[in-house]
Amino acid sequence: MRRLAPFAVVARQEFVLASQSRWTQIFALVFGGLSFAVASSGYILSGGHGVQDFARTAVSLVQLVTLLVPLTSLLVGVMALAPERGAAELMFSQPVSRRTILFGKLLGLFLALAAAQGIGFGAAGLAISWEAGDEGAARFLMLAAGSLALTAVFLAVAAWISAGAQGHGRARALAIALAAWFGAVVLFDVAALAAASFLRSGSASRLLVASVLVNPVDAVRTGALLGIEGVTAFGAASLAFLRLTRGTAGAAAAITASVILWVAVPAWLAARRLERADV
Amino acid sequence: MIAYRAFTKRFGRQVAVDALTIDVRAGETVALLGPNGSGKTTSLKTAAGLIHPSAGEVLVGEPGLPASKPSARQACSFLPQKVLFPEALSGREVVEFYRAIRGASGERTDEVLRFASLNGAGDRPVRTYSGGMVQRLGLAVAVLPDSPILLLDEPTAALDPAGLVAFYDLVERRRGAGRTTLFTSHQLGDAERLADRIAVLVDGRLAGTFTERELATRLADRGSMRVRLERLTATMLAAVREVCPHATVEGADLVVPGTAAVRPRALEKIQAAGGIVTGLTTEEGRLDRLFLELVAGEGGDADGGRA
Ligand SMILES: Nc1ncnc2c1ncn2[C@@H]1O[C@H](COP(=O)(O)OP(=O)(O)O)[C@@H](O)[C@H]1O
Ligand SMILES: [Mg+2]
Repeated sequence: MRRLAPFAVVARQEFVLASQSRWTQIFALVFGGLSFAVASSGYILSGGHGVQDFARTAVSLVQLVTLLVPLTSLLVGVMALAPERGAAELMFSQPVSRRTILFGKLLGLFLALAAAQGIGFGAAGLAISWEAGDEGAARFLMLAAGSLALTAVFLAVAAWISAGAQGHGRARALAIALAAWFGAVVLFDVAALAAASFLRSGSASRLLVASVLVNPVDAVRTGALLGIEGVTAFGAASLAFLRLTRGTAGAAAAITASVILWVAVPAWLAARRLERADV
Repeated sequence: MIAYRAFTKRFGRQVAVDALTIDVRAGETVALLGPNGSGKTTSLKTAAGLIHPSAGEVLVGEPGLPASKPSARQACSFLPQKVLFPEALSGREVVEFYRAIRGASGERTDEVLRFASLNGAGDRPVRTYSGGMVQRLGLAVAVLPDSPILLLDEPTAALDPAGLVAFYDLVERRRGAGRTTLFTSHQLGDAERLADRIAVLVDGRLAGTFTERELATRLADRGSMRVRLERLTATMLAAVREVCPHATVEGADLVVPGTAAVRPRALEKIQAAGGIVTGLTTEEGRLDRLFLELVAGEGGDADGGRA
């Protein structure tokens, strides 16, 4: 057998561990159950036929994804990356750079969470194709892509939080992760809208556009809704955003750039922080 | 093989290790001895690349490279004082993971499991292991690559009897193979007999390096005998002082400091002076006191007594 690079060895191990972890399994079940419930009931409630009504279901699914996926990625990420004393020492004393170990772990975690989401999307997709036919499928993939983007972003943020917790214990890192989730998912929109309401309309819409790109949750939400063409469900921020980027192509590019930065920058900072930490 | 060059580590304002300079040569077995909090773990972890020096450097391997470089760690294996493994994995899976990382050959897995007396438990999840078994699994992982340098933190405190047998055996074999071993300990025990040199660390500073025999002698020098007499006279004290100049009177007792060798002679003197012994206790030298004396300053061992 050919020798596997340490990066791949670490990724494989982390994938196995994360797949076996109770947290990931609970997430797969909850996410799958809720997706299925939203997809089937949402469709039935809208009482319609065809893909137009799919949009409404998708909007509910987008809410579910933007709420649940960041939370799970942060928690699973911190649990795996801020290990208790004694677990990291043996690992980091191996002749492998900390950066390699971190990125290997991140890949393994990402694949495990992606698999867990696959179950949820599979369940929802089944319900939707049953009701709405294949036309819903392409739009549904947009949602899945958004979900994976959020997974990558918040795993990278979890890595950054965990690297700072090296030697401080996991409880503190978990508390910071919860605060980060609350800030990004709940507080941020409220604050942005409140601030905008005090500004004149020109500055207000600039602020709202900025808020869509600054917060990865808003970026992915906007992107997913855009892809699904659920413009009717758009909030003020997203509409302002679409006006400024002059159409979908510009919007998609801006959102993609935001997501890539939100993965790359925290991951890079995490690696740097970890390299410098005492274990 | 391991070179500490004015190695200093500060945690905030606290100085954990202060300008430690010591060379562990290839093939040597060295014990790092000192009380709790003296900086042993910090020194060892730095050689394992886990802690960055605040000043100075720690070089490992030949030629010496900073331990923080991953390539330098190719020459090292480290066993922490307390290891943790993912509970869901079996012992064999844990070893297989590190074997893949190190690129060791396939037969090594069974060899090291047998070495750590885990061959029967290798396929059980770590969840079902006792604390001693987990530590032995750590030992198995540490010996996996047969590294030129092996670093062990408090092996005698952390390992169970089966683990200790493996550890003693390991150190002897490594010495035979010309490999280098550095381990820490906070009490002078059997393990130190394995060491070619014992480096004593107190309050983050190197108090000196000794052989096991030197340290044992110093310790014995710091013992004392306490003799209770029916009636203690000045003649008796004078007689005892002929063989032990630092003998003193404490209450009704005659206290004779020094090694065990002086005690029979002191008792003979007492008897010759007509003393009747009604009670006798002895106290051996305490390592913690020796540590304190070593830091207080090297006065040599001319003065065997305590104040
Ligand atoms: N990560 C750390 N943060 C702060 N202080 C530390 C840390 N590690 C060790 N220390 C302090 O440094 C000193 C030396 O610790 P250590 O090397 O563990 O000693 P030993 O292993 O000899 O018991 C102790 O006073 C300890 O409290
Ligand atoms: Mg220690």
